[in-house]
Amino acid sequence: MRDLLVAEKLVKTFPGVRALDEATLRMRAGSVHALLGENGAGKSTLIKILTGVEKPDSGRLLLDGAEITVSSPHAAGKIGIGVVHQERNVIPAFSVGENIVLQAMPSRGGIVDRRRVRAEARRCMELLDLDLDPDRPVATLSVAQTQLVEIAKALYLDTKVLLLDEPTASITGDEAERLFTVVRRLVADGRGVLFVSHKLEEVFALCDTVTVLRDGASVLEAVPLADHDRSQIVDLMVGRAQATLTLPERTVEPGTPALELDGVATASGHRDVSLAVRPGEILGLYGLVGAGRTELARALLGLDRITAGTVRVNGTPARIRSVREALTRYRIGYVTENRKDEGVFGDQPVTRNIGVTIWRRLARLGFVPDRRERAVVDTYVDRLGIRLASPGQLAGQLSGGNQQKVSLAKWLAAECAILVIDEPTVGIDVRTKAAFHQLIAELAAGGMAILLITSDLPELVMLADRVVVLRDFAVQGELGNDHDYDRTSQAVIRLIHDDHAGVS
Amino acid sequence: MSALLPPADPTGAPPSRRGAAAGRFYRTSEFSLAMISVVGFAVLAVATDFNLLTGGTLGAFFRFLAVPIVIGLAQMVVLGVGQMNLSVGALTGYCAMTAASLMVEHSVPAVLAVGIALGLGTFVGAINGVLVVVTRINGFIVTLATMTILEGLRYGVAGSGTLQGYSPGLQEIGGASLLGVPVIFLVALAVAGLVAFYFRRTVSGRSLLASGGNPFAARLSGISNDRSLVIAHTLSGLLVGVASVLVVAGSGSVNTSIGDDLLLPSFAAPIIGGVALTGGAVSVVGTVLAAFIIRMVDVTQAQFDIDRRWVDLVVGVVVLGAVLIGRIREVVTLRRAGP
Repeated sequence: MRDLLVAEKLVKTFPGVRALDEATLRMRAGSVHALLGENGAGKSTLIKILTGVEKPDSGRLLLDGAEITVSSPHAAGKIGIGVVHQERNVIPAFSVGENIVLQAMPSRGGIVDRRRVRAEARRCMELLDLDLDPDRPVATLSVAQTQLVEIAKALYLDTKVLLLDEPTASITGDEAERLFTVVRRLVADGRGVLFVSHKLEEVFALCDTVTVLRDGASVLEAVPLADHDRSQIVDLMVGRAQATLTLPERTVEPGTPALELDGVATASGHRDVSLAVRPGEILGLYGLVGAGRTELARALLGLDRITAGTVRVNGTPARIRSVREALTRYRIGYVTENRKDEGVFGDQPVTRNIGVTIWRRLARLGFVPDRRERAVVDTYVDRLGIRLASPGQLAGQLSGGNQQKVSLAKWLAAECAILVIDEPTVGIDVRTKAAFHQLIAELAAGGMAILLITSDLPELVMLADRVVVLRDFAVQGELGNDHDYDRTSQAVIRLIHDDHAGVS
Repeated sequence: MSALLPPADPTGAPPSRRGAAAGRFYRTSEFSLAMISVVGFAVLAVATDFNLLTGGTLGAFFRFLAVPIVIGLAQMVVLGVGQMNLSVGALTGYCAMTAASLMVEHSVPAVLAVGIALGLGTFVGAINGVLVVVTRINGFIVTLATMTILEGLRYGVAGSGTLQGYSPGLQEIGGASLLGVPVIFLVALAVAGLVAFYFRRTVSGRSLLASGGNPFAARLSGISNDRSLVIAHTLSGLLVGVASVLVVAGSGSVNTSIGDDLLLPSFAAPIIGGVALTGGAVSVVGTVLAAFIIRMVDVTQAQFDIDRRWVDLVVGVVVLGAVLIGRIREVVTLRRAGP
């Protein structure tokens, strides 16, 4: 079989991160190709380059043997690369037909030719054996139907290569089976399908060949999937750990947990989540993007409703209805993963950023004396080693790492006993990252109970005492961590990809 | 139903067949508005001892409905891309004053003056659009600024004086009726028809709504959102130009306060008419019917000599109610769609 789409030695760097490091992808016509890799391995960047959202720093793309440049998402469609994104991308008020032909509406003199819209839509849907009324508003369709409409849309412009990014993330197992039938039909006609999924069982059921990305490089290039078994693939995805830090010794007191969840369900969809963190302990919360980790943190802060089960703080049942209550009554703090939008006030001075949680405590007759605020802030700027020109400097002017420290400092100033830290080192350079790991370990050594949400496996293995794995808003399993990278990371990944895991 | 998907769809898509389509129609806000219009008009006719249905009163009813319809459409067009145009009232006044001044003080022929008013509105609308796209400043702020500038320019045309005695021909058209229906009302309806056609059938109109409905998906489909923004503001300006011509033709004299009372009604009509403030969906029928309903409130006030403040209160409450209903619908739809 001939090579259909080749991405050769792609390099892409973002400030501070080498997202793709000579990654190569080789897809053949008439086959389904799997693209695998953990969070942050470079899959998204690769897809963005293939679909014209980002441009590579170096490397080249070939379609049917001819070199191509993909200048925009629209250009990608025109040369025959269609994509269906993980999130649904339709115009809700438009009909099925109009959504399918949106890239180039059949028209005469600027007026939409509705007969041809219907005919073209039917033609595209026929390729999928999909029989929907083209005039039906797309807002009335189910998620799975909408997804098929998007595939039909991707096929509208004579598509040779179809990229499916996590297509089964939001549909049921039966619907996924039907989707696979459609995919097989499409490749039987000589197209190539790139299938990106975290679910290994699906990959093995559907795909012919596989490329595995790790740290931006392709560690396995276009090999037949039949030559490998699951654990080999998992080993390749996970790789080896870097040198470890020397972290302070910690002892976890066996007594009452500082925070305990017992059969908790939430409005955002969690079911029967149970876990416990003791003072001085770091509990790692691992899971894929969309597993419900951040949403769980939000529920603990009173941002989302807890619908069933019990939350206990220091052994006493707690009803957390707002962030303010979480902080003042239960002393729970949350360092957000979304530093820019939720972590710091970029156009406010560092003093205000850190002082915001303690204004009430500092205030005299409703006024916050600058002097008192400065005194507290200075303490934490020193303690965390935040590098500033002056405390009056705007937080938005600091580096990412220092902003993250500011985001953390406000919870320390508020004297939290329980800290939920969400993806603390995303987009932070290696040195600051190490300093952060040190800091988190020190906080725990000082008696704080820490719930660490992270997608960074080395970080998880280094810091966590125990690991709870979430999948689809439920606990998939819990395991101890002996800080042996290979053992723990593989156990975690197996737990995530295993469909039939019980709670150990 | 799809051959691929089972009829018993677990994600809860309602089966769509011809009967269901009819069922949907009765639940549309257009249908509710039409009912309110018919019933309200009948009640008002009875309450006024059928004075409402006499030639003069009925003519006036529709004559003063023309401008609110067109100005509501001018606002609706920008709402379609998720923007607002605060300059509609001031621009109407500026265009009207300019046209009248050209005819009265510079003896410009009426046809040319009308053309200039339309062109001026379109031009200012285009400037609004380009400013929004180039500066990336929210249209609310941009048009707030142009509104203030236009108010100044409008005053500059003739100071605090009144312009009157312009083209008798134009005034005659403004006062004319066709089979008892005022011509300017027919013009407003024709404009509404064109706007409806534009949004339903033209590639440009569909692209504009796609940008308003889901800018990201529109961009991935090769639609330029910037272009949609400029077109929406330009079209809004053109419609304002039309409204200004209707004002000049219909009133016989214009002064510097023209347009001041149009800004709130321009929002009231589309919002009561069911147009989403978030963009992506417009309703010409809803906007026209809502303008009709607001006109009925006005007439009620005049007929029964009710304090003007009560009318404002009623319109305000109805607008608030319409927005609340829209929000409730949104939440219900989200709940149904699940997390």
